[in-house]
Amino acid sequence: MIVSWEWLTQYVDLKMSHDDLVDRLTMSGLNHEGTEPVAGDQAIDLEVTSNRPDCLGHIGVAREIAVLYDLDLKTPAPAPKSSSEKIADVCSVDIECPDLCYRYTARLLKGVKVGPSPDWLVKRLEAIGQASVNNVVDATNYVMFECGQPLHAFDFAKVDGGKIVVREPKANEKIEAIDHKTYDLKPGMCVIADASQPVAIGGVMGGAESEISDQTTDVLVEAAYFNQMSVRNTARSLILHSPSSFRFERNIDSAGIDYASKRCCEIIMETGGGELLDGFVDVGEPPKTPESVSLRRVQLDRVLGIEIPFDKAGEILEGLGLKIESQDADIIKCVPPTWRKDLTREVDLIEEVGRIFGFDKVPDDAPVPMAASYKTKSDRVLDKVRSVLTAAGFDEAMTASLVPEQWSSAFSPWSDCDPLISSQPMLGVLEKASQNIGAVEFARRSLVPSLMEARRINEYRSNPEIELFETAKIYLPEDGEAKIPTQPYLVAFTTGRDFNQAKGVVETLVDSIAAGQCPELKPFDHELFDVNQSGELILNGERLGFIGTVSEAARKSFGLRNHSCMVELNMDCLEKIAVLIPIHKNQSLYPSVSRDFNLVMDNSIRWSEIEQTVRKSGGELLEAVKYLETFRDEKKDGPDKKRVLLSVTLRSTSETLTGDQADSISKKIIDDCEKNHDAALLA
Amino acid sequence: MSSASMMPLKEFVDQLETLLAQAGTAFEAAADNEALENVRVEFLGAKNGKLKSVQKALGSIDKSDKPAAGQKLNEVKTSIQSAFDDAKQRLTSGSAERTADAKFDATLPGQRIHVGRLHPITQTINELKDIMGRLGFTPAEGPEIEDDWHNFKALNIPESHPARDPLDNFYLSVARKNVTELGDNPLLMRSQTSTVQIRVMENDQPPIRIISLGRVYRPDTADATHFPMFHQMEGLMIDENVNLSDLKTVLKLFATSYLGDEVPIRIRPSFFPFTEPSVEADYYWNGKWVEFGGAGIVDPNVVSAVGYDPDKVSGFAFGLGVERLCMIRHKITDIRYLFTNDVRFLRQF
Repeated sequence: MIVSWEWLTQYVDLKMSHDDLVDRLTMSGLNHEGTEPVAGDQAIDLEVTSNRPDCLGHIGVAREIAVLYDLDLKTPAPAPKSSSEKIADVCSVDIECPDLCYRYTARLLKGVKVGPSPDWLVKRLEAIGQASVNNVVDATNYVMFECGQPLHAFDFAKVDGGKIVVREPKANEKIEAIDHKTYDLKPGMCVIADASQPVAIGGVMGGAESEISDQTTDVLVEAAYFNQMSVRNTARSLILHSPSSFRFERNIDSAGIDYASKRCCEIIMETGGGELLDGFVDVGEPPKTPESVSLRRVQLDRVLGIEIPFDKAGEILEGLGLKIESQDADIIKCVPPTWRKDLTREVDLIEEVGRIFGFDKVPDDAPVPMAASYKTKSDRVLDKVRSVLTAAGFDEAMTASLVPEQWSSAFSPWSDCDPLISSQPMLGVLEKASQNIGAVEFARRSLVPSLMEARRINEYRSNPEIELFETAKIYLPEDGEAKIPTQPYLVAFTTGRDFNQAKGVVETLVDSIAAGQCPELKPFDHELFDVNQSGELILNGERLGFIGTVSEAARKSFGLRNHSCMVELNMDCLEKIAVLIPIHKNQSLYPSVSRDFNLVMDNSIRWSEIEQTVRKSGGELLEAVKYLETFRDEKKDGPDKKRVLLSVTLRSTSETLTGDQADSISKKIIDDCEKNHDAALLA
Repeated sequence: MSSASMMPLKEFVDQLETLLAQAGTAFEAAADNEALENVRVEFLGAKNGKLKSVQKALGSIDKSDKPAAGQKLNEVKTSIQSAFDDAKQRLTSGSAERTADAKFDATLPGQRIHVGRLHPITQTINELKDIMGRLGFTPAEGPEIEDDWHNFKALNIPESHPARDPLDNFYLSVARKNVTELGDNPLLMRSQTSTVQIRVMENDQPPIRIISLGRVYRPDTADATHFPMFHQMEGLMIDENVNLSDLKTVLKLFATSYLGDEVPIRIRPSFFPFTEPSVEADYYWNGKWVEFGGAGIVDPNVVSAVGYDPDKVSGFAFGLGVERLCMIRHKITDIRYLFTNDVRFLRQF
């Protein structure tokens, strides 16, 4: 809301400096956004919060100033003289949609001379950035910017039948507005029509047909009260925002309608002559009388944390226009003014007293008691995950939670349920090359596709070493939209390293969270992944996540040039096994003995099977099993055979192992490998 | 020397001593590995080394002297060996004689290890959690997909409030549906972290001191200063008599901790449906007032909605945008950089 310094002086004596004024206004709720000098005046831009439509007019702002500086507020008292001709005889108003228009009033002026506005009026409007149109239109605007009530003036000669009908649009109805654009009118909008056609979009903009022109002599002044949501929806759907719709959206003061209408007529007569017909047409709900509210002294102190003299509280409320019904040492009973619909409860009055008294007087050194705080387990595990992954060379990414359909359907290993779809797409979140993929409106069920896109962008920009991870929630509906979906927290990463290295990162991660734990791999067939280099990761019998080398086909569909591996893990699973406070075990004081084995076996034998056998056979003295390498020598071993070289470390906690002890364990390991896997030791 | 004749012990020992002295000099003189190897072969060579030759004479020592001769032989052998070891060590480490090697360039770049970086938003969040933790606030979690009750109704946001406009929210449904068909308590991507306040208060009794941090969603078209997904931090403190002064104090402590210096703060009236009074908090930094977030005393309607008695308990809440703090701090000029994940961006933090 832009207010003019000079204009304000009509209502309140501005003795203070500009800087002092804007500072006080900022500190009492009208944030000063800037001031521009305009032809001997100053245009002061104030931010008005949506609960204060009363400050969308100069009088409202002047009232705040008067209370803050303890000054008198002088408001005009319009008393336009009317002729004997009765408006009811020439004009009628009918509201057919009382949900969209609560109240409609009309006044009629005859014999008005339309022309340029006088200098004082032009100056006032120009100071606040409004161009002058003619004396009648300027009068409506002037009054709107004076008291916050939007008004509209019709050329009464163009109002067919002298009849105003407030209604919803008929099928395929259109209107040319005063901006000379044609708008399609839709159900739910509020239309001001005459006997035959729409003449204005209620609360939003007037029609071109009935606008005031130089030929106009009879002027119908509309002052109405439209439904705020309807005006907002209409302005939004037509992309037609006006100072009028801005005010109706924030709710106007129904009780102030008549005042504004009279004030407008007075100014029109002052600037263009003419006669005001007797009376006014007033249709719809009469304004409601506000209910009285009580303020207790104890509550005032309790909420604000400062003691404000109770007499002062009463003065502030009175200055703001509240009518004090009674006041004693402990309680004030008062009735808020009609223009303050935001004051209905005790706490609303507390805020009023507080903000005018000054929040700057609230101390900032209160003795707030100490309290213990805790780091949650999930935060601790998350910290661990992040520190391992950054140490492993991964940079942390953040991608949008909604994705295009193509990504949503590309990978959803955690759930077969359909994804939730948003009523609005996310706009502008896709990188240029991906903008034709589709609307970003699916609540994602995996982080993997988003990271593949992040990888693609980096590849395209020739960035080396694209190692990215993200921790975020996914959304898995269970029971339609009736229920809030489960939203597991995942960690996913993408790497240019090979499958085994990617798997090594997972194993390191698990081991860092719970020493000694290692996930198993189960077959997992998904077209996003290579048929061999992929798997479901199982930890303690639970699904930890998925790992895979991106398949050729998936690379193509995601526009990836180079090899990469993707991993996605469930943080809940990690949190369950997490050992945040490791317990010390005595480390053996004796040396270890190592033995290497080169075993020949069928290609089909998995390492996991061999390892299990070795661990079992090695028993208590086995400290570690290490895979070294695999060889193939068809000439010597025959087809479908491989040589697996492994090393075991043996150690006792109570003695130095002898060669004989080590040999006997080695023999058992070799024997069991032969028995279980038909694996032969290569001499 | 005749192999048939017996050699006296003394002569044998003398020969060994001479050999040891020669070897010592020769090893010390060796200037490089090649020279050293030649000297090694000369003295310690397995076939024709000088030590080997002397050793052969051991056979011609009188039987009674043999143990003493053998012992001496071993001593000398060990000494020569260690002279060789010393020389070798000297040549390898260059410690004995510090000769410069023009071939070694110490200014070549070191072999770096690639360490990843945390996202600047995560770093900011960690800092915020840290500060609030010291002030006694424990993090609380809530779902990102919320229902209308927690996101709006319980927060005293009426149906007519612009924040509930379907165009301003990501309402969700399983099949594509019109917003009007979504029922009484539709799901949506939460538009604020205040939802977590409600969840905590519904489940716990005062005193409460929590923060909630995380992603929130509003359908702004992405540009340099907007993104439809961003992060908020929300703080909530509820007890028997928590007032505006407590709020101002906590905000001041927070600002001072975050900026690392005592800073003036101010609160000025604002409007949020879930607080009354509502305030905007600013801190004074580099000669001007900088907005850092909205706050206020929890509205009695919210206090009642979760089943508390507003005459018995009160509290404050405050919220701030993480991106804003992060971008000011690191002078990031376009919010979209935060979510494009160009590694050259991420590696700057």
